[in-house]
This record gives sequence, structure tokens and C-alpha cells, in this order.
Amino acid sequence: MPTLEMILNGKEVSVEVEPGDLLAHVLREKLGLIGTKISCGEGECGSCTVLVDGFTVTSCIYPAMKAHGREVTTIEGLAKGSQLHPIQQAFVDVTAPQCGYCIPGMVMSAKALLDENPHPTQEEIRMGISGNICRCTGYYQIVEAIELAAQRMAEEGGAP
Amino acid sequence: MWDDYLFPHSVKEALDMLEARGADVRIIAGGTDLALQRQGGRNPATVMVDITRISGLERIEERDGYIHVGARVTHAQVAASPLIRSRAGVLAEACGSVGGPQIRNVGTLVGNVVNALPAADGAIGLTALDAQAEVAERTGRRWTPISDLYAGVGRCTVDSCQAMITQLRFKALGDGEGDAFERLAKRKALILPILNAAVVVGVDGGAVKSARIAIGPVATKPFVATDAAEWLIGQAPDAAAAANAAKLAAQTAEPRYSLLRGSAEYRKSMVEVLVRRALTRALALASGEGGGHADS
Amino acid sequence: MSTRVLGQNVPKKDAATKVRGSRRFPQDFDMKGQLHAKVIWSEHPHAHVVKIDTSRAEALPGVVKVITAEDVSVNEYGIIIQDQHVLAGEGDRVRWLGDRIAIVVAESEKVAREARRLVEVEYDPLPVVSDPREAMKPEAPLVHEERGDSNVFRHIKIQKGDWEKGFAEADVVVESYYVTPYVEHVYMQPDAGIGYIDDEGRVTVISSAQWPDHDQRQIAPMLDLPQDQTREIVPAIGGAFGGREDMHVQHLLALCAYCVRRPVKMVFDRNEVMIRTGKRHPWYVKYRTGARKDGTLTAVEMEIISDSGAYASTTVPVLEAGTSFAAGPYVVPNAKVDSYAVYTNNAVTMAMRGFGTTQSAFIYEMQMSKLADALDMDPVELRMKNLFQDGSIGLTGHEMPQGVGIGETLKEVALAAGWKEERGRWSKPDLGAASGPHKRRGMAVACGLKNVGYSFGSDDKATVGVQLALDESGEIARVTVLSGACDVGMGAQTFLAQMAAEALGVSYDQVRVAMVDTAKVPDSGSCSASRLVWISGNALVRACQEALERRDQILLAETGETFVETEHEFHGRSVHETHPYDPETGMTVPHFAYGYAAQVALVEVDAETGETEILKFWAAQDVGKSVNPAMIDGQSAGGVHMGVGYALTEEYIQQEGVPKTRHLADYYVPTVMDMPLEFTSITVEVPDPSGPYGAKGIGEMTTLPTAPAVISAIHDAAGVWIDQFPATAERVWWAMQAKK
Repeated sequence: MPTLEMILNGKEVSVEVEPGDLLAHVLREKLGLIGTKISCGEGECGSCTVLVDGFTVTSCIYPAMKAHGREVTTIEGLAKGSQLHPIQQAFVDVTAPQCGYCIPGMVMSAKALLDENPHPTQEEIRMGISGNICRCTGYYQIVEAIELAAQRMAEEGGAP
Repeated sequence: MWDDYLFPHSVKEALDMLEARGADVRIIAGGTDLALQRQGGRNPATVMVDITRISGLERIEERDGYIHVGARVTHAQVAASPLIRSRAGVLAEACGSVGGPQIRNVGTLVGNVVNALPAADGAIGLTALDAQAEVAERTGRRWTPISDLYAGVGRCTVDSCQAMITQLRFKALGDGEGDAFERLAKRKALILPILNAAVVVGVDGGAVKSARIAIGPVATKPFVATDAAEWLIGQAPDAAAAANAAKLAAQTAEPRYSLLRGSAEYRKSMVEVLVRRALTRALALASGEGGGHADS
Repeated sequence: MSTRVLGQNVPKKDAATKVRGSRRFPQDFDMKGQLHAKVIWSEHPHAHVVKIDTSRAEALPGVVKVITAEDVSVNEYGIIIQDQHVLAGEGDRVRWLGDRIAIVVAESEKVAREARRLVEVEYDPLPVVSDPREAMKPEAPLVHEERGDSNVFRHIKIQKGDWEKGFAEADVVVESYYVTPYVEHVYMQPDAGIGYIDDEGRVTVISSAQWPDHDQRQIAPMLDLPQDQTREIVPAIGGAFGGREDMHVQHLLALCAYCVRRPVKMVFDRNEVMIRTGKRHPWYVKYRTGARKDGTLTAVEMEIISDSGAYASTTVPVLEAGTSFAAGPYVVPNAKVDSYAVYTNNAVTMAMRGFGTTQSAFIYEMQMSKLADALDMDPVELRMKNLFQDGSIGLTGHEMPQGVGIGETLKEVALAAGWKEERGRWSKPDLGAASGPHKRRGMAVACGLKNVGYSFGSDDKATVGVQLALDESGEIARVTVLSGACDVGMGAQTFLAQMAAEALGVSYDQVRVAMVDTAKVPDSGSCSASRLVWISGNALVRACQEALERRDQILLAETGETFVETEHEFHGRSVHETHPYDPETGMTVPHFAYGYAAQVALVEVDAETGETEILKFWAAQDVGKSVNPAMIDGQSAGGVHMGVGYALTEEYIQQEGVPKTRHLADYYVPTVMDMPLEFTSITVEVPDPSGPYGAKGIGEMTTLPTAPAVISAIHDAAGVWIDQFPATAERVWWAMQAKK
């Protein structure tokens, strides 16, 4: 069994995996990080989105071994203790989550977007979450939350 | 299930791994299609040779009058590349419409070709650019026109259990050339197209000098509308020429009925619309209208 | 009424855990010593099961048991009619691809998956009935031979006034044939759960259900157990939309736990949700509408055929509800309606957001749009002219109760979208220039209404409990609300907490809403019928009032007690009685209460490709009393999103009972890019005297007008009526070709 070594949410992690394991399953079943959700299992809905070296990937079809030696960020890596990440806080403040199943993936897509482009236009936000399907919200409050987060993060001036 | 997952550090090492481990070993790059094929039981290979850590394959660069795109380059990187956006915009547009951001971050342009689907947006763009692929085998490397890589739907002549494509190359567009990509799909993201079309044209002295029109999925491989392109040569680069060439392209394209994509009649009519729109934009660019290709 | 907590955008109770990813959905639970289960599904849409051989599967190391029909005490179930086998055994029939043959229980998911392939089933295929219109013919093969001599299992008749005379009086008659599509709920969280035997010996299931108490009522007889020996826990639900009213994993997990006496986990993959779970009913409708020159409706006549798929599920009440609204929020003096529920071998059809009224909203609003066109009358004006008001007589001869807000709702949305009104004459705004030479702009309006709560004589009731923890001075320190009302995502926990805070005069943060667990909270009925605000709210507010009275008694008596607990059972019929349809005339009092919506779409159609883009959208909803404005905006946008998919992209395609839309990739839920850039949500508050604080339900109403608004706007743009939708680019293109 190969060993997958990665920086997971800022910490070095080493875990035995099957060569064919997919990242989402390793995160959920071997590392207990259930915030990464599996919905379609085919890379078609974005619920399982995590960041690998800062880029979004659909972890339900991403071979876990690809993450070897990489930095992986999941939804659990965003909040600092009781302090939500500004994106998470904005989602709460504008009442963006409904059922909440797509939300971790949405937040991760938003994170990648704002890391790359701290002042996105509405169109850029839409592009940024165009790989994430939500069945509840119609997306408007999600876009609004990302706009609010970008604005707050700019005001705070600090790095996200 | 897979038995092993290997990271070679050179093309030679990758080819050695294929050789050493036999028929159940294969190349994997982004793996976005492979993971699905595996789930569907359509890919029996059990040892993966992951080429995404081989240095040198990550480049997008201009050499010898060609733009080269390495086998590790993702759709997102192509779509964002200033070089490709300015000198082969059709490919940036095509790659920017594949899947969603997550798939574009992982899936490679070379993989889009190797997967050999006639609807693949990247491959349609490359076909219009008359691109070539460098095939690396144990016997050596050779350049092959990408249109020769198709052995049928989903079947590439380069067997990923024996060889790999290391890079792609195509001529950068210059003055007097223009390009465009058009796509029709059932929604605006996360979807394969009903139809797509990519064109590259050259205009000189008020007449069309060169043209290449690629259309998918209307045949078992990216379809090149040769008759339409040939007819265009010598024509004035105007709307009427675009319309007539599009009509010719539609006559030769043979989309099949597809329960999920639509009727043959509709898609044939749409070939005409898409090719006309692409040609109109490309001819305008080539004629120096709309700011030229550098700003497209 | 001045309120402190109602009307505030308080943070949703579950929002923080959802954005952290720490909220546990059923698939996120694991138990010590748990096994894994996989279902062996029918491979045929219609066949006799000849032989089931489980020996190879059972021989596989790690397989604990292969459960078959022989293991089921009472092998029948169904949410209303018990017409389904839990597992089809040898000699039984399978009637669609969602029928189950066996369940493999194994030590790991991998082994269960492998063993599933080793169960060998021999079938004797039977003729497949795939078109309900054919299925109605006397010579059609029967889907349920044991249930009578016809595939039609419900015929609703409405005969109101003199419909022939009504048409004779009409100056204009609009006649249409509509086909509405099969669509899938696509809740994002696939069905999953764990079954186990709890410390008190109860067969327990952790799952995402819309009505856990009713699941128990189906599970207990299946296992031949008293109901109190079963239990269901609902920790979180990743969307439902009606799709979880029927059980998908609950009964199977209960059976597994009962058989193997160990915890058993089952997680559906998306393909199982796509292929093996129920859908929204397609309707085939002949519709005639008559009106005078001035727009006054004189008569409607229609025949509605509803494809029920292989089992009844909730088809009958869905058809009853849909039929009762088939003339819309309009006064129609004369009517003849015949509605049929028909068995086929297609996917089972069931509740889905709107519960039949989504289909009826499409047909009546398309008729109104066509009528406005035929009369050359403004579409808002035509609707205003015929719209319900308090006391209007509806299609089944009933009087509309006080609080009819559709007029206000339509007016607000029309004005927001740019309509002008002058002395009752309405005029549409200028739409501006199209964005390209081949683009055509169009704008249209549509209305919708739906019942709140169960109908047709059902004793709809909800029980809600309240616990108050008092401090030494008798002030309320903490409040716990106990209710079986499931929060599918719309925020039930939040609005119940807001209502409790309001009723008790405490802050929102002092109120906790207990997790739904049938062993711990009372039955509040289903999370459906847009009923939770109304019925659970009514029960809750009364429970709170009673708790306050008890607290005051305690204070007066100076007993020193610091804990108060009350429970109130609220009955819908305390508002007024409802009744079943009269078998011959259909006349009845169908519903307790109503909610309303009206929407406007501005679209652009590409005249060359047939593609439709929605540029702007306005959605107004009458909620009676806005409890949480942001949550209402979310319901509005979400309803519109589902309606946009219904109108333009979503279609579950089957051929001879075999689905062709097998992957999420083939089923086109709108992405963010497919939604209009500009969306305006408008909340109207016309109080319903029967609702708590005047509130009405809204969860379903927001999706009703969307499809007819969008598809009528396509007509305004391109001049074609798309009567069979979704209005894909190809359908619009063919319609435009036919018109040329």
C-alpha cells in the first residue's frame, strides 16, 4: 500500500492508501474530513471541491496519489478555531446556505477565486462557481456572499 | 482497481515503465476522463504512470515559429495563456469552454486529444490550427498531424499503454490571420457541446488566402470541412463568403441523431449557423477589423 | 402587528455548521462494527422474477447476509397504497428499474459492491407499457393484474355550471395540447443512512426523510413490529423537494438492521438516485378555454392524463391537488375536467415541489397567455380581470377564504417589471433593443397558487412541544422547541425558533430547536405541502401561549419550579373542514389555506439556433407575514431556479421504461451561468387570518409561475408556442421552422 504524504490544511499528513483511491474517499473515510461532500461522484457537480496547490479540483474523481507532495486545503482548513473564514462568515450573514450540501464545495471555489482575484466582478464570480451545482438557492445569495466576502477582505486589508 | 501508481521523472522513465509492466500499464495525465472510464468498467489498466511530474512537459512556449504545448498543460492554463490568447485565440476559447473550472484545472489539452472524442472542444480548436502531436515511443519521437490520431470514437492511434504524446505544436497566427470558436450546448457550463466549430483563416490583398474549418461532433473524429475551406480561397472576406462556405460545410457534415444531443436535421442546420458565425468573426479579425487578432 | 424577531434576517440555526462542513448528513455517520449494504435492482422495466441465486454472493468472504423477499415479514409497502414489494421474490413481478430483488450486507462497501454482481437473477420479460395514453386502452397489458382490470386507478371528474353553454357564450376559444416532462428532484445529497438496533431494542434508522413518523408507520408493519419498536432520526437533509416523501433507504436499512442485528450503512450513488428513485409526473393535457371579447372567462374543458409510473406513490393526492387548480387563480363559471392516474412501467412518479400544481400552473397560464394574444389584450390586464379575490368561487365550487393575495402579488411584480397601469388598463414596457441581429426579445407574466397543508378531508395536524427553562426569578432562560418538522434546507428550525422567540418574548438565541428523532419529538406531519410555517407554526404559537400560562401559574403559586413543558396538537380542520371530491360533480371544499406567486421573465431568443437566454426575472410571492426575508428571497430564487430548469433544460428521458438520462452529466440542472443576471425578489404580505401571525406557506409557490412565464416570453419573442417542454433550443427551432 503506497503512502500518501501531503500538507493537509497546513499540517503534514501521511496516510496509507490504495493506489486507486480517490481523494474524496481518502479525506472522508481515512482522515474523517466529512466536510468534503460526494454528490454525483463523476466530477459534474462540484460538491467535493477541494484545493490542491491552490487550484480547485473535484476530489471525487481525483486520484488521491496525485496529491502526493502537494498542499491540500479542504473546508475544514478555512476557519481558525471558532473564527469563521470571511467567506464562511459572509455565507452565514447573507443566508446563503439552504440544505448546505453543496456549500463546502461552493466555499472552496470562492476561496480559490478570491485568492487569485481579490476584486472579482459579478461575472467573474459566476465563472468561478460555474462548476458547482446548487439545487436550492438559485445561486443569487451565494454570489452575494462572495461579493460581501471580497469587500470585507479588502477592507480588512489582510491576506485571506 | 489499480495496483500501483507511479510517478516517472522523465519521458524515458515513463516509457520504460510501460515496457516493463506490460499491457495493464498506462499513462495518466489529468485523469478526469480516466476516473470515469474506470467507474464505468471501460478501462482495464491497473498500473498508472502519472506524467504530471515530468519536468519540461509543463511549458507553453513559442519556438521555431510554432507554439508548443506540453503534455502537462491543463485547459485552464491554455485558456489563460497570454501567448495562446493573442496568437491562437481559438484554442483559448475552446479550452475555456470545457467542463467547469475544476475540470479545466486538472484535465490536460493532450488528454483531450488522446481521449479521442469528436466533441472535444480543445481537439476541435487544435484541428482548426492544423496542430501536430509529438509521439514518444521507445523507438524514438515523431511528429504526427493530430487528425491522424483518431482510430474511431474514443480510440486514439497512440496507445497509452505503449507510448505517450509529449507535446503539441501549431503555427501561431500572424498578421492577416484570424480565428474563432463557436459552441452550442444545452446549458452554459459543465456540459459537452451539441456542436462546436473552430476556424482559422488568412486574408491577403482583399482575398481569402487560407482557411481551415473544424467541426464536432459530426463524424467519428473532429471533422475538417475541406470543401468549404477550399471554396473560400480567393473569395472576398465578407459576410456572403462566410455564409456560402458555411452552407457547404453543413452539406458535407453528417451529424447523427442523438437522443440527448438532438436530431440530425437540427444539428446539420446548426453547423451552418456556427460555421458562418465563426467565419464571420475570423474573417473580420483577419481583415484587421475589430482590432485584429492580438486583442481578440 | 409589530414584531421583534419576526421579519428579521437572523442567522439560520444550521448555517455555521453548514459553512464549516461539520454538519453531518446521513452519509457522514459511522458506527462501531457497522456493515455495508448494496441493493440488487431490477434489470427489467417489466418482468417476472423466475429465479434468484444468491449462493455465489453468499460464498464471498466478508458477505454477512443476502436479504431476499423471504426475509421480509410483510412484503408490501407504499406511502398511501401498499402496492410495492419491499423485495421482489421468485414468482413476483418487477414493474420498473427501481424495484429491488435483494440486499447484500457485507463487512465492507467494497465486498458489498462485489457481491452485488454475484447475485444471479433470471427474468421472464413482460410487455412494457410506456405511454399512459396507450396504457388506458382496454387492450393494454396490465401493470398490476391484481388491482383490477385497468391501468387507470383514479378518475377525477369536475362538472361545474353548464360548460357547453359557457363555450357557446365565448367569443374566443383557445385549444391546446400540452405535454409536461418527467423531471428528477436532484437533491444534492444522495439518499443514505444507517440502520441499527438502539439501546432500547428499537429498530432505528438515521436518514434524511421528509416525514419520519410516516416512515415508521410503513416500517413497523413491514417488520410486523409495533410502531414504538421503530425509530427514525433525521440529523440533516441535503434537499428533498418532495423526493424524500417516499422511502428510499429507510425501510431497507430497517430490514437490514432487523435481520443482522448490527449497524448497517447504505449510501446510494448518484446513478441510483437518478435511475431508481421517483420523479415528477408528466401530464398529457387537452385544454380548451372560452372567453368573451372583454376577456371574461366563460368556460374551461380539459382532460388530464398523469403518468404514474409503476406504483401509486402519492399520485392520487398529487393529481387531486393539481386538478383542483387546473383553472388557476381565475373565476371560471363553467367547467368540465377529467383527470386520470395511470400505471405504466416508467419510473415511479411522486411528489415534487408543487405536488401537481406545477403542471397545472403551466397549463392554465399558457392558456391565459394564448388568450391574451388571441384577444390582443395585455396579459396582466386579462389576468387582473379574472383573478380570485376573497370570497371568489373556485373550480370546485368552494369559496376562497380571506387573505387572497394574488391580485396584490401580480400588481407588484408587473409594476416592478415596468408595466404601467392607468384606470385599470395595463400596458407592457418597452423591452429595449436586442443584443444582436438574430436576437428577439420577449417578456411575459405568469401567476401561481397552491394549497397550504393537506387537502380533501385529510385530518392534517401537527404536534409541537415547547420546554422552558426558567431562572430563579421566573424569567425564561432557555427554550427548546420539539417538533418532527424536518428542515430540508428551507430553514424550518430557524423560522420555528423565530416564532417561538416572538411568542415567548425572548431572544432568538435563547431558542434551540431539537433534532428530529421520533423517539424524542412529537409528530408534526410531513415537510411538504408548504405547510410547516402554517401548521407547525400554528401548533408552536399555541404551545408557547400555553407554556406562558403555565409559567404564570407557577409564579403565582410560588412553587419554585424552573421547568415548563407543553405540547399542542393543532388540527387544520379547526380552521374549516375540507372534503373529498364529489365523485360525480367534483364539487368540494378542497383546501385549508393558500399561498400565491406571480413572476415576469424577460428573455432573448436566438432566431437562428432557438436558444433562449433569460435576461431579467422578477418574482413576487405573497407570504402573508414575512418571518425571515432573506430565507424568503432564497425560496424565491430557488423556486425560480427549479422553474428555469423545468422550462428550458431538464428532462428525464426514458425509452420503453429504460432511462437514457443515467448520469447527472446528462440531466441539465441550470448552473449559475444559466440564471438571469438580474433577479428581483418581491415579498408581498396579505395576511391569512388562519396562519400564525398571518403567515402563509411559500416553499412550492415560488416555482409555479416560472415555466409558463419563460415559455410565454419565448412566444412574445419568437412568435411560437412551445406546448411540449422543456423549451430546448431544438424545440424552439423546429417550432420556428414550422411557422416559416
